[in-house]
Amino acid sequence: MSAPSVAVSVEGLTKAFGSIRALDGVSLTVGAGEIYGLLGPNGAGKTTLIRSLVGLITVDTGTVTVLGRRLPDRAVLAEIGYMPQSPALYADLTVEENVRFFAAVHGLDRPAAARSTADALEFVDLSPRRRSVVATLSGGMRQRVSLACALVHRPRLLLLDEPTVGVDPQLRAELWRRFTTMSGEGTTIIVSSHVMDEAERCGRLGLVRFGRMLAEGTSAELRRLAGVERLEDAFLVLSESRP
Amino acid sequence: MSGRRAGAISLRILQQFRHDRRTLMLLFGAPIILLGLFYFLTGGGSSLPAVDVVNLDRGPLGAVLAADLGQSTEINVARTTEARAASDLSADAVAAYVVLPADLSARAQSGDVIAPTVHLEGTQPALTQPVLLALDQSVTRASRNLVAAEGVHVPVLEPSLDYLHGGPGLDTLDYFGGAFIGLVVFLLVFVVTIIAFLRERSQGTLERLMASPLRRADIVVGYIGGFMVVATVQAVEVVVFTLYALHVHNQGNVALIVLLTLLMTLVAVNLGIFLSMFATTEFQAVQFIPLAIVPQVLLSGIVFPIATEPSWLQVVSRLLPLTYGVDGLRDVMLKGNGLTSGPLLLDVAVVVAFAVALIAAATATLRRSAS
Ligand SMILES: Nc1ncnc2c1ncn2[C@@H]1O[C@H](COP(=O)(O)OP(=O)(O)OP(=O)(O)O)[C@@H](O)[C@H]1O
Ligand SMILES: [Mg+2]
Repeated sequence: MSAPSVAVSVEGLTKAFGSIRALDGVSLTVGAGEIYGLLGPNGAGKTTLIRSLVGLITVDTGTVTVLGRRLPDRAVLAEIGYMPQSPALYADLTVEENVRFFAAVHGLDRPAAARSTADALEFVDLSPRRRSVVATLSGGMRQRVSLACALVHRPRLLLLDEPTVGVDPQLRAELWRRFTTMSGEGTTIIVSSHVMDEAERCGRLGLVRFGRMLAEGTSAELRRLAGVERLEDAFLVLSESRP
Repeated sequence: MSGRRAGAISLRILQQFRHDRRTLMLLFGAPIILLGLFYFLTGGGSSLPAVDVVNLDRGPLGAVLAADLGQSTEINVARTTEARAASDLSADAVAAYVVLPADLSARAQSGDVIAPTVHLEGTQPALTQPVLLALDQSVTRASRNLVAAEGVHVPVLEPSLDYLHGGPGLDTLDYFGGAFIGLVVFLLVFVVTIIAFLRERSQGTLERLMASPLRRADIVVGYIGGFMVVATVQAVEVVVFTLYALHVHNQGNVALIVLLTLLMTLVAVNLGIFLSMFATTEFQAVQFIPLAIVPQVLLSGIVFPIATEPSWLQVVSRLLPLTYGVDGLRDVMLKGNGLTSGPLLLDVAVVVAFAVALIAAATATLRRSAS
């Protein structure tokens, strides 16, 4: 089966929590192997959008198609890696036990899970701490374990909700180099972030506000659209403009 | 000490209560419910134990005594034949039957001790006391009337007791041992599961599981599998300790006791998962413990016999899984029943049905909670 060239296609998504419209008609298309960055202020709807891509949100209206399958579809979840905004881990298990558990949950058999766990821990640079209990790790380390849990089964689509919060600059740069390598190998990555130098590394960016897609494009396109030099200023200018 | 700082803490606690209505409802509602239960269980409006009376006396005292027993405020008397009474007792339809012997009046007139036979079911000590009390009161009253009328002495009452099960050789621990095995295991497993599952939710890992290809049933069955391994060890430990260290009386098959205990844990695991869906914090989950456990303890017949509950409470008792677990364990340990016994099979079947229903309910609520 040849991989579809469109990894994620979202159309007219709306979701209200009571009176709050977390998503208000979002449409989005992400090609296979792209790194797509979601930008937007707190409460813009980035997390809600990402969660709806793994079927965690039952949307009010609109359709979500992921890797050629219209959600809800349980089978396609095996090919998605989801890293929640706050590290969701078993604090009483070791690093290795956590990662291996999520490998098994995604259907890897024992030897494959062991191998992938070692690779994932290498990826987030935590191999030396693999036997540490998660509760004893630093905040940034927990974030990295959470990332390892999301990519241990080598998903074709990675959904990362602010993956590098609390990660030191050196390792952050290294992680982004690795994300770029993965995307070169065909993995699609959708990542939310508030960090502009990370946004610069995304192939394309989507600026979300009030549950709507305000602007989309490469960093250069967004800067040109806003008529400013720096992406940070473009973000501010475009966020201000009333939709 | 600073009044303002301490006051800030008090105020914060009150604010938290205001945001947590459920806790307030528990604090103010639970005492009323629990005390009300105590009221109904310890006499208020409760049912009387059913007792058959068989009068074989050739003289007048037997009839007077039987009539007086019919007026008793301790027991609920029906008069019948000895054969019927015996079958009622073995069918658990009555708590006891009293046989007034043929020579009752003759012995009373000659000033001898009178010895009606009291046939007790024997597995529920709380049902023995009212029968003996009622008999004693009636003998005193009936013979006092006869003394006035016919000049007989007030006879000395020495009922001879006959136990269908158990008997005077059993002590309190023997009666409660079986019930407590079921209770202890049920309680512990329930508490551990409800907390474990709630943690899964509050730490966000349940959401991760929901974003994986796992089916909801996989999660529930996985939980059952993990907990049942521990629960099996626990059940064996508890049964061995009860039987061989505490020497609690057992007439039945030890494997059957372990099986019943395990079925109770299966119910407890799924009740824990199911109820954890209705709690958003561990604080609230802890509140389910008194709410789910205390009424079960009071109503499952461990201490207060179900037969003496007010009839509407008996209906409630029949809806609780622990009732059947406790009854089954008593059937095995005190009566020595095996799986060929109808009542025990019924108990086992009901507990299994509860387990299956709760597995379905736990799976269904899991689906609903992922919005
Ligand atoms: N489970 C929920 N119940 C009620 N409201 C919710 C829920 N989840 C999100 N919201 C609301 O939806 C809106 C969008 O939230 P969302 O988490 O998607 O924002 P975000 O863009 O990820 O913000 P941040 O940058 O702070 O992570 C917010 O107003 C939030 O309060
Ligand atoms: Mg967010």
